[in-house]
Formats: sequence, C-alpha cells, structure tokens
Amino acid sequence: MRALILRRLLTALPTLLAVVILSFLLMKVAPGGPFDSERALDPATEAALARAYGLDLPLHEQVWRYLLRVAQGDFGPSLVYRDFTVTDLVAQGLPVSLTLGALALVAALAIGIGAGLFAAARAGRPVDHAIMLAMTLLTALPSFVTGPVLALVFALWLGWLPVSGWGDGRPAFLVLPVIALALPVAGAIAKLTRAGLATALAQDHVRTARARGLSPLRVLVRHALRPALVPVASYLGPAAAGLLTGAVVIETVFALPGLGGYFVQGALNRDYPLVLAVVILYAALILLFNLIADLAYGWLDPRIRG
Amino acid sequence: MKAARLPVLLLGLVILAAIVGPMLLPWRHDAIDWNAVRVPPGSPGHPLGTDMVGRDLLARSLAGTRITLLVAAAAAGVSLLIGVAWGAVAGWKGGRIDEAMMRIVDGLYALPFMFVVILLMVLFGRSILLVFLGIGAVEWLTMARVVRGQVLALRERPFVLAAEAAGARAPAIMIGHILPNLAGIAIAYLLLTIPQVVMIESFLSFLGLGVQEPLTSLGILVKEGADDMDVAPHALLLPGGILVTILICLTLIGEDLRDRLA
Amino acid sequence: MSAVYAVAGLEVHAGDRAIVRGVDFAIAAGECVALVGASGSGKSQTCLAPFGLSPLRAMGSARLCGEELVGADEARLRRLRAAHTGFVFQQPLTALTPHLRIGRQLDEAWRQAGAPRPDRRDLVALMARVGLDRGDEWLDQYPHRLSGGQRQRVMIAAAIAHGPRLLVADEPTTALDAGLRRDVMALIARLRREEGLALLLVSHDLPAVAEHADRVVVLEEGHVAEAGDAARIFAEPRADYTRALIAASPRLTDPPPDLPLAGGTLLEARGVAVSFPRPGWRRGRIAAVAGVSIGLGRGEGLAIVGGSGSGKSTLGRAIARIGPADAGAVRWQGRDLPPRKAMRPGDRRLIQPVFQDPVASLDPQWRVADIIAEPLRHLRPGLDAAARDEAVARAIAEVELEPAIARRRPATLSGGQAQRVAIARALVAEPEMLLLDEATSALDVLVAGRVLDLLARLQRARGLAILFISHDLAVARRLCGRIAVMDGGRIVEEGDMEAVIRTPCHPVTRALVAASA
Repeated sequence: MRALILRRLLTALPTLLAVVILSFLLMKVAPGGPFDSERALDPATEAALARAYGLDLPLHEQVWRYLLRVAQGDFGPSLVYRDFTVTDLVAQGLPVSLTLGALALVAALAIGIGAGLFAAARAGRPVDHAIMLAMTLLTALPSFVTGPVLALVFALWLGWLPVSGWGDGRPAFLVLPVIALALPVAGAIAKLTRAGLATALAQDHVRTARARGLSPLRVLVRHALRPALVPVASYLGPAAAGLLTGAVVIETVFALPGLGGYFVQGALNRDYPLVLAVVILYAALILLFNLIADLAYGWLDPRIRG
Repeated sequence: MKAARLPVLLLGLVILAAIVGPMLLPWRHDAIDWNAVRVPPGSPGHPLGTDMVGRDLLARSLAGTRITLLVAAAAAGVSLLIGVAWGAVAGWKGGRIDEAMMRIVDGLYALPFMFVVILLMVLFGRSILLVFLGIGAVEWLTMARVVRGQVLALRERPFVLAAEAAGARAPAIMIGHILPNLAGIAIAYLLLTIPQVVMIESFLSFLGLGVQEPLTSLGILVKEGADDMDVAPHALLLPGGILVTILICLTLIGEDLRDRLA
Repeated sequence: MSAVYAVAGLEVHAGDRAIVRGVDFAIAAGECVALVGASGSGKSQTCLAPFGLSPLRAMGSARLCGEELVGADEARLRRLRAAHTGFVFQQPLTALTPHLRIGRQLDEAWRQAGAPRPDRRDLVALMARVGLDRGDEWLDQYPHRLSGGQRQRVMIAAAIAHGPRLLVADEPTTALDAGLRRDVMALIARLRREEGLALLLVSHDLPAVAEHADRVVVLEEGHVAEAGDAARIFAEPRADYTRALIAASPRLTDPPPDLPLAGGTLLEARGVAVSFPRPGWRRGRIAAVAGVSIGLGRGEGLAIVGGSGSGKSTLGRAIARIGPADAGAVRWQGRDLPPRKAMRPGDRRLIQPVFQDPVASLDPQWRVADIIAEPLRHLRPGLDAAARDEAVARAIAEVELEPAIARRRPATLSGGQAQRVAIARALVAEPEMLLLDEATSALDVLVAGRVLDLLARLQRARGLAILFISHDLAVARRLCGRIAVMDGGRIVEEGDMEAVIRTPCHPVTRALVAASA
C-alpha cells in the first residue's frame, strides 16, 4: 500500500513539474506570446513581466525562478484584469468553484451509488434496465446543454429557481448549477457501481454469505458493495477532472463568479499567466484526487494493502 | 444486435441529413435573410425558424452537425492511430519498455485535458486543424491502455505460443493472431471515443475557443441558442437535441459492441 | 432413524428443461452421502438448487429436518439454511469475503442461527477445533494473509460455527494442492464424527469418496446411473458409466502400464535457468527455474511433476524454446538448439506443444482447418494447397475426429474436440517430441481418459518422445516411464517412475504419491 502511494507520488510530482516547465517553455516559443517583443503591451506590464520572469537571464535560470515563484503561489500579474495579480483572482474565484465542484461530487456520488445499488437489488427486472438506460443517457448529456435547458425549464418557464447568479451562495442559486454539473458524473458512477456489483454478486464469497442465510440487503451492503466500489474509486480522478472542466462552462452559463469565468476570459484574451495558473492548479487538484483514490482502494480491498 | 438497432438507424439519419441536407436547402448556413429575423419555427421559407440575425436555423444546424462530425471523425482517427500503435508496442515489448510507456500514459491521464487543449489554443491561436489534432492527441490514452492490456493477454495465450512453435515469426503472429483478436475491442473503444471528442469539440466551441466563424458547429449553435433562449428557445433546443442524439447513439452503439466483445 | 436431509424424486430445472431428474437419497445424523459424476453431470446443481443457492429451480421433494425446501419462499429458505446447514465450497481463495477480517466472518457465522454474540475465546476455540492453533492472531487478519489450506479450514470453521445438523461440502478439496487434500478430508470426517453431522459430499475425487462415504449416488448427465452402498459400488460397479468413471481416474495402485521402450538420447538440457523481473519498480528478479538438467530418449516419456509455482511449465517452455530462458543449453541429438529468437523452421518442427486450456489454445478467429495447417504454412512453405488439405485431413483422422470439423470455429467445439484439434496441429508438423503441458487437466475425467488413451497410441505409433508436465502423478504415469519431481524451481527427485512411486524420498514426492494413492 505504501509502495503504491509512493509510486503514485513518484508519478504525480514529475508530471506536475513537467506541466509547469513545459507550459512555461511553450509560452516562451508561442508566437504572439507574452514574451514576444513584437507584441504591444503597455510599458508598465512589460516591465512587470520582465521583472517577474527575469527575461534577461539564461533560460534554465528563468525556468528555475518561475518554479520558485509558482511554489510560493505567485503566478505574476494578470494581463486582462489590470491591477490584479493572478493570485488575487484565484483567491476570489476558487472558493466559488470549489463549493460548486464539491457539492456536485457529493451529489454525483449519492445519486450514482444509490442508483447503482437500487438497480442491482432488482437485477434483471425492467426497473434495473430502465435505470441503467437512463444513467447511460445521463453520461451522454453534456452539461453545456443540460445547463441552459434546465435554466430554460425550471427558471424561465416554471419560475421555481433563479436563472443565474451567485446570490452570495444561497442554496436556491446553487441547485441548478450543481445538478447540471453532477448529472453526467452521476451517470458514470451509477454504471460503474452497477457493473461492480454485478461482478461482486457473482463471486464465491457472496454465495458463502447467502448460504449463511443473511438477508439480501445485508449480503449486498456488507459483502458485495465494498469490492464493487473499487472501480468507482479509480474513477475519482477522471471525475474530478470532469467536474472541474464542467464547472468552467456551468459558471459561464449561470454567471457564477468562479475561477472558470476568469479562465475563459483569460483564454479568449490570451492572458497567459492566468491560464497557466489555472492549468497548474487543476492539474494539482486532479493528482490529489488520484491519491485519495489510492487511499480508498486500500480501504475497499485489503488485498491491495498487501 | 436488437438493442443497438435504433441508435444505428438514428445516427445514420443524422449523418445522412448532415451530408445531403445543405445541398437541398435554399439558404446557406451563414446567409442572412433580413426579412425574417428571429422568426419562430413553421415560418414560410424557414421551417425551423431563424436566429437573432436572420440566419436559417435548419441550415445552420445541419452545417454545424457536419463540422462537428468531421472534427470528431478526424480526431478519433488520430487517437486510434496513436493509441493502437502505443498500446501494441508497449504490450508486445513488455518489461521495462512497457513499464516506462505506461507510466507516461498514467502521467498524462492525471492532466486536465480540456485545460491543456485550451492552453494550446491560447498559445498557438485557434484553428480547426489544431482543434482536432489537439483533441486526438489527448484522447488516445484509454485506447492505448485497452490495446496494451489485450496485447499483453494475447501474447501469453497458448495459441500464440503454439503459433511460435509452428514456426510463425513476430510479424506473422502480429498480423495473423494479435491484430484480428484486437480489432473488435479497438473498434468498440473508437466508437466510445467519438462521443468524447464530440463533447470536447462542442465544449470548446461553446466557449468560443474551438471552431471559429464563419464555420459553425453544434457547440457554437448551442451557445447562441442559450444566449437567446428567453425569446427563442427553439434556437437552443434544435442544435442541443441533435448534439444529444449523436452523443447518445454513439455511446449506446459503442457500449453494446464493447459488452458483446468483452 | 429419521433422516436429517431426505431427497425424493428431486429434479432441477433450467427454465422449463429438466437438467437433473429422479434423484433420491437420505442422510441420517453422522452419515455421509456422496454425489459423484463427471462435470456437467449435474451433481453440484443437485446439491445446491434445493437450498436456493443456484439460479436453477428444484422440483420434487427435499426435506431438511422435516421441513420441505422445494417450493418454500426465499425468507423461509434463508431461515432453514441459517438454522440447520453449513456449507463448504470449492474455492478457498475466493469463498471468504476479502474485505472482512476472519474474526468478523466467524462472528457472522456463529450468530447466523440466532446465537448470542460470541466472545473472542469462543472464536479462538472454534478455530482450534479445525486445527488452526494460531487463532488468536488470525482472527484479526484478512483472508488473503492465510494459505489456501488455512482458508479452507476457516471456511469449515464458519460452516460449523452455529452447530448445524447438515454439512454440505461441494468439491471441498478440488482446488487444494495434493498434499492438503487428505488433511482437509480427514478434518471433515473427524468433525462429522464429533458433532454427529450429516454430510452431503460432492466430489470427483473417487478415492476420497471411497474412503469417506457411506452411500454414493452416481449421476450421469442428470440422471442416476447407480446408487447404493459405497463399498459395494467401488468393489463391483453395476453401471457401465460407473465403471468408466472408476477406470478414468488412474490410481497408483493400478498395475503399471505397458510403455514403449526408450531409444538413444534425443534431447539433453543442461543448467536451464529462467527468472522474471519482480513486478513493479522493485529491483531484482525471481528465479522460476534454477539451473535444471534433464535428458530424454527417443520415444521415451518423462514426467515433470510438481505443485503450482514449482516452475515445471516454465521449464518446459524454455526447453521447447517458446518461453524465456536466461541460461543453459539444450542439445538435440548432439547439436545445440539455437535460442528462442533464432529458431529456424527445421528446428521448430522437432518439438510441438499441447497446452492445458483447450479453448485458449485455438485462435477463436480461425477455422479448424487453418489452425491445423498453421505449422505446414511456416515449416513447409513449398507445400501446395491440395497437399496441405490432405495432410490436415490425415491429422484430423489420426486424432479420431470427423472430417466435417475442419470447417468449424473453435467456439463451437467441446473441450475434448478442441484438445484433439490442438494435438492434430502438433502432429502435422511431424515432431519427434511432444511437450504436453497439463494437457488433460482441464478436461472432464472421462474425456481426459480418452485423450490420454489417444496420446498413448500416438506415442507408440509414431515413436514420439513426450515431456509430460503435470501435477498429477497417476495421470503422468500413463505415458511416462521416468519422473522428475520439481519444487521451487529445482528438481528434488528423479528416477524410474515405478521406483519413485514405491520409495519416494523427498517430502514433496511423498505428498504427491499419497495424493494419488
């Protein structure tokens, strides 16, 4: 188990390092990039950039200085949002995005595992097939379609919930964005749970438990569920990636003041320091989720602990 | 076969409409009809209405579908080539080479793809070529893993050992035994990659980072429709509906195929 | 005396088709009834279906402690199972829940019939009763920490924890290594005596059945071929099927077979070593075969026998040059065989393999004719299509298959047919030696017996040398006059087959001999 986590870390840290270095170098060579001297920037920004990155130093020095700054959480000035550093923008937007993402992850896990269990308890019956078909459909629904459609139906037509905005984080404003974000991930988790349970229920140890005369629910929850959740755990990393990505579009659709909105504006306006900061931050978050998944494996299946 | 028949039929219809449709319609997707701005479905000359500047929605949707499918096919092709080659080499060579190649895949898996593609867009400008090269280059990982796993398993199968004993050399074993037993599962995952690619392309276009005007794609149309949905909901529902239909059909067909081969 | 478990006119239905019919038996306390038969005879279904532990439906009558199981609803079946029965299944590796500690599982079993929660001493005593004296330590372990034999003992402890009256043992020793089988059967027999348990035993291990069962029911494709007193059935079987079954499981007490005489030295392997890299990033390699030397004469059969993980298959593949080899030389009639990558068609012809899993041995995409013709295409590329077809047809006839089989695909073949196709593929190459890697162990007993007969005929008719890799001494003895016993990658004992069987020296050999006695 410790070896597994160590191995993951040994993969994760170089990956992150490579992302940072490669992005920095790409930025250097990109035509019309921030360090392209033909690009018209106002002198103040130009000077700030030169100071920040030590543009007159040899390349490896520049990379090293950039790494040091990133390690201290300093991503330099934003090119679009004048008067703000990238770190300021991240500090403003990240809490909103994390709230949205965390709620959506909880919702997706609850809906997904719940639906998977419910379907497995009725294995082979029409309810099972109907639920799993619905879950497949969910995975194929992009959040940038469900988001606007949900807003159209529940906000514009039915008037039950606000169309958009943050509303200082009041629950009513969060319902639609969280649902739109959670649905595809919930569908994927439900399918993984159901498939995992199908495998687990066919295993010998489940027959042993049934032979003991345990109730079907107890067999399902105590003997089958944990091994069935191993694939769900390995999906945590991709799920986090999906939620972070989806959050970008959901924040645009529902006009939420999260990091995603800044990111899109930054991308459209070629605000390199901002875009780079978000990519690095999200890469780190996803790596973190992969580590959490590794810890979860150990709990779900002691054989992995060795 | 029964389960997948309806999706195959629907998908075939959508593809056919996207290819043939634009030739039959009187309006080009970017032609503006000043006499019919934002008309509802059922208006004369515009069976599904027009958008806020008077462009025919049906024409735009079909043109958008065409671009979306084109990008998807090209990007999925790129991912198939890279994925099969990478996975087959890793699985066949085995040992340290396999270990190193798969570590690279693990590392790339941990990246936020969408953000990397966007970073590439930001750095190198937005172009449709870059869109599908970028998507294809990040979407091959699953294919590589699946192919590698299959090759690794097939390589140790007794029938491959028997072929070696029968005097077959590596290329003959690859062509005669490994690839034919790999083809089905690779096609299934190709079909499952396409909806992923469609989703990424539409996502990028939705944010204005993918396909650029005057070309259009379903993602752009959904975005335009969403901006205008309070007065013209059909402008959101039509391209959104087509997009969802494509995604669902491809997913169902791909999963059906995968389940029957796995 | 009233029966604990009595079955009358029992049928098992899959959908509306009866796959088992007309089974009657009764087991009183302290008695053992055994169900025997080839795989597919329905013995496991007969055993499990009345208890609701199979997806199939039982009809007729099955009374447990006076209560009818057939037709009872799920809740009632659960209650009856919990109260009166204990089950031991085949796979000790997978039959325990991997994520629950041993103690938790024994606790669950203890309370299944409504007993109060046991304290730790109760569970330690329970483990001591099944011969696990480190119970106190193992209660806190997960199942994967225990060996296969220990896990099967835990399984038995769980099965008797609640004081059942009927113990159902479905192939309890099949998955265990030879040396452990007798111990586990002896344990079950002791518990049966001590607790007065009625025992329903399903097994294809006829020697074990002969030793332990009071009465035997012989099942042949879903009907009772013969039933009665165990001693009588083994002494004077009445049904042909029973006789075939007994004859098909070779025993060391059978007279030695008449083997062809060995000719001059054909193959000599010296210092063969194979190692594999440790999994993951850890450094170093694991030695699978550590410097083994063997020799084989023309037309001679040599058995390489050992437990799983002893390195016997790896050795065979290294010698046949279809697996990795780090060191060692293989000489063929005084000439060195080139290493794996450098084997020329002329070298490949000499040794042809047949593997354990008949289905995985044939490429599912190919037709039988193409599969058999594969060696011809590579080894004799000059042959035209007609000559190739003729050679394939001859090979098909030689392995006693119908000519029409040439057009079929592997998925449509039975295990026995598939294995004959694999043998035919080996024969068209016109080899001088066969590598038989557990070639009959995945087959059903009766089928395996006939394939062994075929191999014996081919050995004699073609003067084939045979390297027979097996975990089963009695099977290997049918073809081999010499034996090499492997353990931990080395040969621990070697010599004339009959001599080794009479006076085994090494403990591993003694366990193998005892298992086949």
